[in-house]
Amino acid sequence: MSDNLTYLGMEDQYKKYELFFGPNHPGMNGNFSYILTVEGHTIVKAEPVPGLLHRGFEKLVEQRLWLQNISLILRICVPEPDINELVYSRIIEKLMGVEIPERAKFIRTIVLEMSRIGAFLLGFGGIGGTTGLYTAPNWTIADRDYLLDLWEWISGARVYHMFILPGGVRRDLPEGWIEKLQKTIAYLEKRLPEYDRLIYNNPLIVKRVTGLAPITQEDAIKYGITGPNLRATGVKFDARKNVPYAAYPYLDFDIPTQTGGDGFARVIQRREEFEISLNLVKQAIKLMPKGEVRAPMPNALKFRVPKGERYVRVESARGEHGFYIVSDGTEKPYRMAVRGGSYTAGLIYAKKALEGMRIEDVALWMATMDICAPDFDR
Amino acid sequence: MNQKEIIELIDNKFGIVKSNIYDEYQLSVVVKKENIFAALALMQLNDFKELSILTAVDWFDRNVFEVVYILFSYTHNQQLILKTEIERDNPEIVSVMKLWEVAETYERDVHEFFGIKFLGNPSLKPFFLHNWLDMPPMRKDFKTQQYSDKVFGKTKEEREK
Amino acid sequence: MNYKDKSKLAPLSALKYLFKDPITIRYPQEEKEGYPGGFKGVSPKYRGMHSNDLEKCIGCGSCSEICPTDAIRMVEAEDVEEKFGATKERPVIDYGRCCFCAFCVEVCTTGSLNMTRDYIHDYVSPIDKTGKDLSETISEEFIRRPDYKHEENLGWNTPDEYSWLELERVKMEELKPSERDHSFIEIVKGFSKEQATKEAQRCVSCGLCTEVCPAHMDIPEYIQSIFDADLEEGLRQLYKTNPLPEICGRICTHKCETACSIAHRGEALSIRWLKRYIADSVPLDSYKKYLGINYIKQIDKKIAIVGAGPAGLSAAYYLSLLGYKTTIFEALPKPGGMMRYGIPEYRLPYDQIDKDINFIESLGVEIKCNTRVGKDITLDELHKTHDVVYIATGLHLGRSTRIPGSDHKNVYYSTDLLREVSLGNEIPVEKKIVIIGGGNVAMDITRTLARLQNIKYGKVDITTTSLESEDIMPADREEIVEAREEGATIDPGWGPKEIEIKNGKVVGLHVVKCLSVFDEDHRFSPKFDESQKKFFAADMVVQSIGQAMDLSYISEDIKSKLTFGPRGRIKVNENFQTDLDWLFVGGDIIQGPDAIHGIANGHTTAKAIDDMLNKNK
Repeated sequence: MSDNLTYLGMEDQYKKYELFFGPNHPGMNGNFSYILTVEGHTIVKAEPVPGLLHRGFEKLVEQRLWLQNISLILRICVPEPDINELVYSRIIEKLMGVEIPERAKFIRTIVLEMSRIGAFLLGFGGIGGTTGLYTAPNWTIADRDYLLDLWEWISGARVYHMFILPGGVRRDLPEGWIEKLQKTIAYLEKRLPEYDRLIYNNPLIVKRVTGLAPITQEDAIKYGITGPNLRATGVKFDARKNVPYAAYPYLDFDIPTQTGGDGFARVIQRREEFEISLNLVKQAIKLMPKGEVRAPMPNALKFRVPKGERYVRVESARGEHGFYIVSDGTEKPYRMAVRGGSYTAGLIYAKKALEGMRIEDVALWMATMDICAPDFDR
Repeated sequence: MNQKEIIELIDNKFGIVKSNIYDEYQLSVVVKKENIFAALALMQLNDFKELSILTAVDWFDRNVFEVVYILFSYTHNQQLILKTEIERDNPEIVSVMKLWEVAETYERDVHEFFGIKFLGNPSLKPFFLHNWLDMPPMRKDFKTQQYSDKVFGKTKEEREK
Repeated sequence: MNYKDKSKLAPLSALKYLFKDPITIRYPQEEKEGYPGGFKGVSPKYRGMHSNDLEKCIGCGSCSEICPTDAIRMVEAEDVEEKFGATKERPVIDYGRCCFCAFCVEVCTTGSLNMTRDYIHDYVSPIDKTGKDLSETISEEFIRRPDYKHEENLGWNTPDEYSWLELERVKMEELKPSERDHSFIEIVKGFSKEQATKEAQRCVSCGLCTEVCPAHMDIPEYIQSIFDADLEEGLRQLYKTNPLPEICGRICTHKCETACSIAHRGEALSIRWLKRYIADSVPLDSYKKYLGINYIKQIDKKIAIVGAGPAGLSAAYYLSLLGYKTTIFEALPKPGGMMRYGIPEYRLPYDQIDKDINFIESLGVEIKCNTRVGKDITLDELHKTHDVVYIATGLHLGRSTRIPGSDHKNVYYSTDLLREVSLGNEIPVEKKIVIIGGGNVAMDITRTLARLQNIKYGKVDITTTSLESEDIMPADREEIVEAREEGATIDPGWGPKEIEIKNGKVVGLHVVKCLSVFDEDHRFSPKFDESQKKFFAADMVVQSIGQAMDLSYISEDIKSKLTFGPRGRIKVNENFQTDLDWLFVGGDIIQGPDAIHGIANGHTTAKAIDDMLNKNK
């Protein structure tokens, strides 16, 4: 009997089997799936199957007024909605030739960095979760709640803020908000050593992520991998610094890089960027001028954007988030294409990266790459 | 290489249809359909190593599809929007998979949503849309309301059926 | 740090978390840390359920327009009172669709719609609660009209500076007082294309203006056409209901602007100037092409119109479009009526009147000037030679104050003086002038005389006094301001008592303080305080307290067949038809007095005449 099985196992068609790695797996990030062809524990072929999350944003946007879309496009990405608002608003401002008030730039910076911190905290939790260390998500998601409280205060909502608008931001900061933000930032700084001890110095995690699916610098650029994943391979490029926007040109910060581009480099890169983000918020608070928060804009119901096209990329926690928008001069966008931070990493690059990986590392790989299905399945 | 040099470079080789400098980090160049592959190859040689996105725009009134290749160069810090126009009826264009492997996904995406055929791309299978039978949905003549009425029923009674 | 260096006791450090307060709380059982200003629970700007002040809401529908999820529907409300410049519709929100973006709050024209800090927490599904079918109860529970009960728990609201509407007007350029007070050049310069587009952009297309406009002009539509830079369409929209856009674009009483929904939070749209922009921008020779008038099939019916004022011209335009042979009989040398002979040139230049009238004439309307009905031709003759007669002769007689001295030869009526100025005749201008009246006509004569004084003497000495105090003066605000800028003194709130005459010459006007003009029932019944007196010295007094009609040309025979209402007005039905089938009456002698009512009932009459003549066929 056992001889027979061994014999059968030597034939190709019985040696491999297909595994549906989708939302049924707790390590899967959102409604996305891979069909993995595995041989024993090892993946020989991976086929990404998106579509479970497809909501047709690009089509919906074409049917709504420019400002109505603000309530829609931010839903593309739940953990970090504000970047969508920013990219969209920046394209409109560029097409209309509007310069936003200085104070609005700083408020945008603070809000963006807050959302970046929030997204990193979710990412930290992800790394803990996929390695079985459930204390990490318990801590980080609870800490993220402090940021949600702050958003609730300025924008009236915890998750979908709709706070950044073409021309500036929706409201000025309420009294006492800055103090609470400073308190929260101080608290998170205090928590950092504890995270370090829990996650980044944890022998278990270090062992699991070290050497996990390293990316070469050349591959990263060729495959369009951006953001922290790119910097983990040693490329010193950050859209905040190199293609500056909001108030980043006024702030003093350095871009950290790692070498190797493996799982550990990517995780540590995020950890270091988290610290920089905390620092950026503090700087922005200090330098923020007084004044208007929104440039005069046309009536929302007769809002027209001049003819033209723009591609704008900004730095999100997962990489560079870009929109390509075409306007034909009417009240509605003519075409919008979304290029999320992990578009290529989650689809085509995954095919390459997952080959030869063990099944249990797939979820962890996704966590270290910060793959977010809505980036491509929009 | 600055923006003017980029435009000159493409113009000297292929002759550009239109070019626009949007700001210090972004410019757009329109070339003829037959030159697009060579122009992209040329730009790749000139350090435009990243294909940020490949997408299309449906200019329904002019009966053309505009295929948009957005390139980025880390050395020049420039975003180059290279575009070309193709016929809307039976749209075909050569695949750029040979230049960028990532183009496979983008082309698959555009094929699915616009129905543009990329010659040389083997994997133009359904991707995001499961069991889709209608016309490619990002085309301007695809009307969402009509589709919804057709598939899910227009009235309450029809919907419950 | 290498994990191998870690102390064996390191895991014990986890014990310190044992006594840490949890970050999460059991809200709402437990209160979160509060916000400044004593707010507990959710944030003070929370985007929760809506609240709407039904009294304040005007039902403009902007909330429904901006709603990205199509959750807001405007539904006729039974329990709200009708008011000026408001519909009876109120927003009803489907909370199954609402995404709580608060865009509706940002575009609310009145500020009545706000969001509250209330929200539905732990919603018990209706099927659990009542056992009823889900689809039934969803409409009860989730589709609701927000009213004002959440007032004390207000959340997200929109102060004016954050509104998504453009509340400030595009400033209209005008001549400076020093440039205009010597001449009759038009003061208002008109919009440029950029200015007009920018002003048109402010419109929310609610259509409340259409409701209150006497002619029901398609205001949002023509404003949209300016925004689209499609003046051809704009002109078509104008001529649908108003054949005198150049004139109306300058001197209309613009009731539309008082009803403008934007005016609740900011400045109303300059609807009048936008209309003027369309008419100004289209040259007269393109009118026929733009309006698509090629060939009109003539009908063998003749219509006589008495008086070439707004009502007469408007009726003539629409009747001639229908193919009727239309003739206007005008007593004065030129057509235009009060628009030409009552309104000074600096407000309405004569060439603009000519532009509108020339177009109407080009459609085949015959205007017989210098033909006074009753003198040159009688009404009976008109009746005999025409199928229908339309009378719109307007109010050309001045009303007297009937105070002692008002019959002196140096006491004038404003209507007479303004007519003489327009006819090009010289009028008496003394050094010191007192004008009695507080309406727009009083301002017209004040400013006309101020100019003439400036030309003749180099300085202005005019005092205008009215019964009404300044806050209830019927004249337009800007007219009063501009009159003052031009040097006239306006001293309202005095009742004229006597014009003092010494040695056969006017010396001045005695007035007493007027306490109130109307009684509780809004009837005219002025009350005076005789102890407060004032004397305005003057060589000349002008009375401008209203106009009266002159119906002496109607023969006694016809008069006996007509019914007369209060204040001598001829009784007409809703189509402006009198008791005599062939006689229609309209314009200032029925409604108004203003141009737009005349235009509106000219249009109505034209339709009614067409209906009647078609029926007789």
